[in-house]
Order: sequence, then C-alpha cells, then structure tokens
Amino acid sequence: MDAIIEVNQLHKQYKKRRSKEYVKAVQDVSFKVNRGEILGLLGPNGAGKTTTIKMICGLLVPDSGTIRINDIDNQKHRLNALRQISAVLEGNRNLYWRLTVRENLDYFAGNRGFSRREVHARVEELLGQFNLKEKENELVNRLSRGMQQKLAIAVAMLADSEVILLDEPTLGLDVETGYEVRELLRDIVANHNRTIIISTHDMAVVQDLCERTVIINNGQIVTDDRVENLLKLFAARSYTITINGQLTDQQRKLLQDVFPDSTYQPETIQSTIQVDFSNGAKMYDLFDILKLNEAQIEGIDRETVDFEQIFMKIVKGESAHATA
Amino acid sequence: MQLLNLLRANTRKEYLELKRYLPNTLAMMFTFYILFVGMFMGIQFIGDPSAQDVNTQFVIVNYIFWFLAMMVVNDIGFVVMNEAMRGTLEQLCMSPMGLWRIMVSRLLATTTLNFFIIIVLLYLSMLTADQWLNVDLVAIMPILILTLISMFGLGFMVAGISIIVKQIQAFLQILQFILAGLTFVPLSVAPALAYFPFVKGVDLIRDVMINGTTLSQIGWGDFGILAVNAVVYFTLGLAFFLYCERIAMKKGLLSHY
Ligand SMILES: Nc1ncnc2c1ncn2[C@@H]1O[C@H](COP(=O)(O)OP(=O)(O)OP(=O)(O)O)[C@@H](O)[C@H]1O
Ligand SMILES: [Mg+2]
Repeated sequence: MDAIIEVNQLHKQYKKRRSKEYVKAVQDVSFKVNRGEILGLLGPNGAGKTTTIKMICGLLVPDSGTIRINDIDNQKHRLNALRQISAVLEGNRNLYWRLTVRENLDYFAGNRGFSRREVHARVEELLGQFNLKEKENELVNRLSRGMQQKLAIAVAMLADSEVILLDEPTLGLDVETGYEVRELLRDIVANHNRTIIISTHDMAVVQDLCERTVIINNGQIVTDDRVENLLKLFAARSYTITINGQLTDQQRKLLQDVFPDSTYQPETIQSTIQVDFSNGAKMYDLFDILKLNEAQIEGIDRETVDFEQIFMKIVKGESAHATA
Repeated sequence: MQLLNLLRANTRKEYLELKRYLPNTLAMMFTFYILFVGMFMGIQFIGDPSAQDVNTQFVIVNYIFWFLAMMVVNDIGFVVMNEAMRGTLEQLCMSPMGLWRIMVSRLLATTTLNFFIIIVLLYLSMLTADQWLNVDLVAIMPILILTLISMFGLGFMVAGISIIVKQIQAFLQILQFILAGLTFVPLSVAPALAYFPFVKGVDLIRDVMINGTTLSQIGWGDFGILAVNAVVYFTLGLAFFLYCERIAMKKGLLSHY
C-alpha cells in the first residue's frame, strides 16, 4: 500500500515561559499513513498529539525531521503541501462567530481560492449531510457546541483535500452529540474516500472509527498497531475463571506467587479468579493450582476488554519503563 | 482567478461584518465625528483668528488621514490579535494561498469599504466647519494610492508584531497616537519625516486640498519620493511579516491560548 503521509523522525521542543528550560513535546516520532486509512493518534494530556498534528498542518516547524504529504515535503513546498490537507484544530475554535453557517463555508472556500459559485453545490450537499440546513442563516455564536463542531468539520470537508486532520473532534461534547459526530465521521470514512488522522483521548472514537492507532506518551510513540490487533492481543490473554466454592489458603498463596497480577474474589457459592496470561504465565500452571483441592471449574471466560483498559496498560507500562 | 476569489471572499466578509454590526459602525463614525468637532472648537477658541481658516482646513485633512491610517495600520493589529485568540488565525495560516495574500486582500477590502466612511466623514467635517476643500480627484488619487501602499507596508509590520507578541493591546493603543503624530506634524517642521511612511503623501494631499495644487504642479521628485517610499515600506513590511510568521511557526505562537 502506498503511504500518503510520511512522518519521519520528528522532534519538537518548546521553551518554557520565563525560564531557560525546554519541554520536549515530540521526540523521534515516525509513522506512515496509507491512502484511505483512518488513523487514531491517541495519548494522555500533554502527550504531544496537538504538536504532531500542527507540524503536519504546517503550522509548526519541527526542530528536525521531515513530513511528506503526497510526496511533497511540507517544509520545502509548504503551500503546495497545504493544498493536500485540511484540518479542524482543537474543538470549535476555527470559525467566525459573527458570520452565519453558510457565510463561514463560503468564506473559507474563498480563502482557498474557490469562488462561491464553484462551491455552491458542494455547500448545499454538506449542509444536508451535516444536518445544518435549517441553521444555515444562523450566526455561529448562537449555535450549540456540537453544531459548531459539525460546521468546523464541514468546513474541512469543503476543501476537497485528500487528507483531513481532526484534533480532539469530540472534546467537550455531551454523549449524544459525541455519538452524532462519530456517526458523521464514520460516514465520511465509508463514503468519501479520505485519509483521516484523528487525535483524541476518547476511546470510543478509536474503537468505533480507527483502523490503526499510534499511541503516544511523553512525546514518544509507544505503540503503532491495528486497533483490532490490540484488542485481540489483550483480550486473548485475560481470563475470568469461575470455580465452585473457595480456594484454600495454600492455593491462594500459590496463586499470588505464580500470578502476582491476578485477582481473587471469594464468594460462598462461586468464586472468581482473574488472570492475565500476557506476561508468559501459563494456563496449565493455574490448573495445577486448582487441582490441589479438586476445585470444580464452572466457567472460563475470556475477558472482554475495551480500548480504554488497553490504553491505560500501554501508557502505564511505558511510564514505568521510563522512570525505571 | 484564485486571487480574485480570495479578494472577493475577504471583501464580502468585511462587508457582512460592517453591515451586521451597523450600530457599531455608526457609533465608531459618530465618535470620530465628535473628535473632529472637538478639534474644530479648539481652533475656534485658542487658535490665531487670522489663520483660522487654514488651520481648520489643515485639521480636516489630517484628521481624515488619521482615520485612514487607523483603519489600515492599527485595525489589522487588532484583527490579528483577535484571530489568534479565537483560533481562526491558524485556519488562515493553513490556506494554500498563504497568509500574506489573505492579509493583502483584507487590507484592500477594509480600505475600499472604509473609503465610503471616509467620504462621509470628509463631507460632514467640511459641512460642520463650513470650509470647502479642493477635492481634485485627478491629483489626489495617484498620491493616495502610493501613500496607501506604504501604509499597507506599515500595516504588515503591525500585523507581524501582533502575531508574535501576546500582550499587544497597549502597543496598539500607543500606536494610535504615533499615527496621529505622523499625520498631524507638517513636513516643514520636520523635513526628515518625508522618509517615514505616508507622511510625504499626506503633505502632498494637503497641498492639493488646501492650496489647490494641481497634478502637473507636483514635481517628479515628489512622486519619486512617494514611489520609493511605497516600494520600500511595502517590501520591508511584507518581509518583516513573513519573518514574524516564520518565528511564530517555530515557537508555536499562532494560537495565543
Ligand atoms: N505553544 C506552546 N508553548 C510551550 N509549550 C507548549 C506549547 N504547546 C504545547 N506545549 C507543551 O508541549 C507538550 C505537548 O503538548 P500538546 O499540546 O502537543 O499535547 P496534547 O497531546 O495535544 O495534549 P492535550 O490532550 O492536552 O491536548 C505539553 O507539555 C505542553 O504543555
Ligand atoms: Mg491537544
């Protein structure tokens, strides 16, 4: 598959205000995005997501490293590279609040060199698609947060660029509006053949929309894998075992020794044990322990993990490494 | 064609905002008018009675140019500051047309739209003072256009500073007085000011409007100074603006949050 975006060994640090110290916002970040792919850039607060996105958008010059969009170097040929992308940065801050919905769409099209006539049909289509038709003459500052966000995405769609970057598209939206925005994005992905990078710490966005995720923490990439793989990898190794009765003291002690991460919840009738086999621990070892009192196994369930847990594990694991 | 669309979009935006906030626009015009009335009264009470007419005419021209300079040079500073806070500046920076072209369109648009306001203010002040100046467009237009180009250059410098300095408000307020100084001080008092942006132009227009100088009476030397002034300040202004944009992109200053 051919990559439409190639990010190569990016570094960026900011000078802290009123001090000589620097914050390393992004360190040695490299990844590729294939044409038509939808990539989730995931990370906790301050991880460097916005910094990375802004460097791709040509709003920030990296200290070192290169970014190629459609094989165009975005530092050497900045304006040409900008033609390939459009972006919605952090929330709803990208609109003119004193203009109406339609006027915003027209204005931004004009700023990319299109005439109103050229984009007329496209504007109509977007107003319909984004459910903004009855609000087209409403001033943006009278719209709800969710509507503003939808309009910002519509503005980005208007440019007809191949790549769209969205920084935290669901930030600050209530559950329902967040869902609506995700549905819109899903539709864009399914029907409009764009390449999309979404930065977020909303797991629902990643789990619902993204094929692949790059997880970034403290400015560095910790994981770059298909979402499906991550779900499989973690889900496959985490089990809940239900037994009749309870474990003996000796069994509990063994369980603690062999599976330090396991949790045991005794109940009078049925007890449960949760074990994570991802650290090389073997299921047979667990059976050996259970065999000691001939405990009756009632069920073995593969734990369903959601992406949030995986994310926490990856990020925590990495922080532990870094401090060790 | 793309440039034309860019200019059209920006003119339309400025027009829509002026129209939508008509009460604001009118209030601003009223404030400026009151300011003129204040200056006019000042001349009536304190000035030398024998020079009153010329003094009044002098003030009218200066006052109109001060308004123009405020609209072109000062306003763009406030616009950039607000857009940086709102986050729209980043959107503009992502335009494949380049931020500076958008800024040129904005400058052209505001100038054109404010031209109507300026004409209203001019006639209103002439009416109030009952002093009729020589509005010789043939002589005024070439001088005005060259003067505007150097004003645009200055506007670009102010826009550039507004991108990289976060607390720009105080500076912009002081700038209003500097601009007043540049428009009100006659060249005969400080000849070196001819090499400042737009001072020479205002001086020539004063000649036309007060003394009735015609286009053919203005020497090539004067036009030479104006033209060099226009080219130098516009180029310097643009270069400085691009430099500031670059710094902002290095330091992450495009959004003041
Ligand atoms: N303009 C700036 N000047 C100085 N430091 C900055 C600037 N922008 C970001 N930083 C710092 O760089 C680091 C990375 O910030 P960045 O905004 O890229 O993170 P993020 O992953 O987008 O976080 P969030 O989820 O909070 O949006 C943070 O420590 C932040 O404080
Ligand atoms: Mg961010």
